[in-house]
Amino acid sequence: MKKLFSSSITGPLLALLLVFLCVALTTDRFLSPGNLSNLFLQVSIVSIVAIGATFVILIGGIDLSPGSAIALLTVLFASSIKFVGVPLPVAILLVVAMGALLGLLNGVLVAYLRIPAFIATLAALSAFRGVAFGFNNGSPVFSIHPDLESIFYGTFLGAPLPLYYVIFLYGLSFMVLRYTAFGRSIYAVGGNPRAAELSGLNVKKIQMYCFVIAGIAAAIGAVLMAARLNSGSPNYGVGLELAAIAAAVVGGASLTGGRGNIINTALGAMTIVIVQNGLNLNAVPTSAQNVIVGAIIVIAVAIDIWRDDITSKIKGRFQSTKNVSKKNHH
Amino acid sequence: MFPGVVANNEVSLTLKPGEIHGLLGENGCGKSTLIKTLCGVHQPDHGKILRDGKEVSLTSPFSARNEGIATVFQEFSVVPTLSVAENIFLGVLPKKNGFIDWTKMYSDAKKVLAKINVRIDPEAIVGNLSVGDQQLVEISKAIAQNASLIILDEPTAALGLEEIQQLHRVIKDLKKQNAAIVYISHRLDEVVELVDCITILKDGCVTSDAQMTDIDISSIVNTMVGKVGEHYPKENNTQDEVVLEVRNISTSHGVKDVSFEVLKGEVFGLGGVLGSGRTEIAEALFGVKKLTSGLIKIKGKSVSFSNPQDAIKNNLGYVPENRKFDGLFFNFTGIENTSVADLKNVSKWSILDLQKEREEIRKLITKLKITPESESRFVSLLSGGNQQKIIIARWLFADAEILIFDEPTQGIDVGSKIAVYKLINELTSAGCSVILISSDHDELIAMSDRIGIVSHGTVVDILPPNQLDKVDLVKASTDEKKERIA
Repeated sequence: MKKLFSSSITGPLLALLLVFLCVALTTDRFLSPGNLSNLFLQVSIVSIVAIGATFVILIGGIDLSPGSAIALLTVLFASSIKFVGVPLPVAILLVVAMGALLGLLNGVLVAYLRIPAFIATLAALSAFRGVAFGFNNGSPVFSIHPDLESIFYGTFLGAPLPLYYVIFLYGLSFMVLRYTAFGRSIYAVGGNPRAAELSGLNVKKIQMYCFVIAGIAAAIGAVLMAARLNSGSPNYGVGLELAAIAAAVVGGASLTGGRGNIINTALGAMTIVIVQNGLNLNAVPTSAQNVIVGAIIVIAVAIDIWRDDITSKIKGRFQSTKNVSKKNHH
Repeated sequence: MFPGVVANNEVSLTLKPGEIHGLLGENGCGKSTLIKTLCGVHQPDHGKILRDGKEVSLTSPFSARNEGIATVFQEFSVVPTLSVAENIFLGVLPKKNGFIDWTKMYSDAKKVLAKINVRIDPEAIVGNLSVGDQQLVEISKAIAQNASLIILDEPTAALGLEEIQQLHRVIKDLKKQNAAIVYISHRLDEVVELVDCITILKDGCVTSDAQMTDIDISSIVNTMVGKVGEHYPKENNTQDEVVLEVRNISTSHGVKDVSFEVLKGEVFGLGGVLGSGRTEIAEALFGVKKLTSGLIKIKGKSVSFSNPQDAIKNNLGYVPENRKFDGLFFNFTGIENTSVADLKNVSKWSILDLQKEREEIRKLITKLKITPESESRFVSLLSGGNQQKIIIARWLFADAEILIFDEPTQGIDVGSKIAVYKLINELTSAGCSVILISSDHDELIAMSDRIGIVSHGTVVDILPPNQLDKVDLVKASTDEKKERIA
């Protein structure tokens, strides 16, 4: 039990500290209050989308669509308020429901129609953004609602509101994964789908639900993104899926499924966003930034694959000497 | 090298050309490590490996191959999508002007196959061959590399009777051609029949070397596990009540018109050769495959399962043949592996009570004498016997009353086998019923109260074990072969 959930928080934590130090040493603007609060607001969106990525990765899947889903959902959100006159709270609920629906679409394709997750969500990545461009002649929708920005920039007890959203959503996800039968089933399905089926779990339904959760996470990210700029645009969220996947993987989630810890995903999200921020502050061009995010994903996956070898080697050396000395005592 | 264990300690082994050397020992005794050292996967911390009197250092599987050492592992390394010839010469495909010389490759492959007197078409796709023939392709690969030391790790685990006989003939041929053979198997009967000498390992050390070991089952068992008492501790716990009634069931995947009934506390055996349809019958009973016709009644009540979930709700449990692929969650400890089939048992409104889960399963771990390490360790680090018991514990935890055991003792050591038999007794004496599928005919005959002989996906005959012996089961299998040819 312990191993499943507290699985090596040290690695992601070290990575975060290392990145933090590197960026802080290369640019003095990094630690300025303005940058730090901007940084946090940036992390909030990535980390919420990364919750969805983690659920999907835990069942051994992958979701490439949240960036495009966010673009579609911000446009939908903006249009429904601005052109249809839907009240803000209702529009938020509507967007979350739409996000769930987009997730359901992915889930049905993957779980029931057995399209490989990579292909199904790659198609969704293309299609969702395509649909987003169909609204408002493909133009962004500005000035959605006067109260909208306060959702993102507002504070409570001196702390920014997104902090509360992040804590609440991560707390909820942690509880679901650790303390519910559904959460346990997710790990089982990710660990061995065939054994899960023979143990009476409804594997397809569980896989589908994880995609629905990813859709809901994307929808919450979409609302925050729209609130941040008080606009919706089919150009939002480009590359966000990679940042979210990178967050989960840097947090130690195994792409083969069944292993991962949601709290580590938060650390991974921070790491990724600090890297991006540090590159921005050091005026590294966007093209090079994309290359670096790609490299980080590869390194994190490599560490995941080599991890077992490395730890067993270290432990083995330590324990086998202990055993030998024990034997000599006899 | 290995977490927490000295896998091999001061092991000495002498292998001679023209000799079949049996290597025995319980699971986790260090056999696999020893083999992996011989084929270059692991390196010894100290000690020497001499080949023809000269010291060699086997730093990789490649260098071992260059020394003429070939290993046929339990899990085959054939490429199922390629032809037999391509597999045999994989990595050393004969070439002409930089292109593959297909004519030469096929004729060379034919020669290699002729060396061990097997008739396999070199152009056939390996994935379409029987498991036994795939194994022979693997051996041919070793011969093509001019290996003079061939290590066979549990080569018969997945083979039917005839295929085993064919394999033994091939091994004896190799022996005549002066190869040194290391033979590893848990099936003592066949080991005794085949090998020239035996080395037994225990806890990483040689407990009995080639000179000391008599080639005799009971003395081998005694050396391997100490005094075991009765090898098959069968109890008769059958009661009169019919708990499972199967009437004329068929499925689209090979089950044809199967009927039998199972009594309370009974062990109902399903015998027959590999591929006769035993596992398919089990899968039909457990809701894995849908019935196309027929009827299943549990305690007189007609049931219909569209998935394993329904079967589990009706107190069925299934211990699958392949526990690695179908049974275990390697990302879980023993506790999570046990509770997974009945999480409702330890949750309220779908919220898990982790404390209760731990306590309840600890009781089962103690009861089934599973190692306490299973509580906190991933199951991948447990022995085969412990892994098997974890899966049995899963069904006890889920209150299963009818348990299907598909090859429950395959690949586990004698001590664990006896533990499984005792568990079967405990289950039946507590009123559970067991459907036992086994290719080990001694085991099937000894442990079953009645045996259904399966051939062509149907139960052709049901007999009490005292009216049946190994010969009948073999005969059933040969009948099938004949029919298949005809």
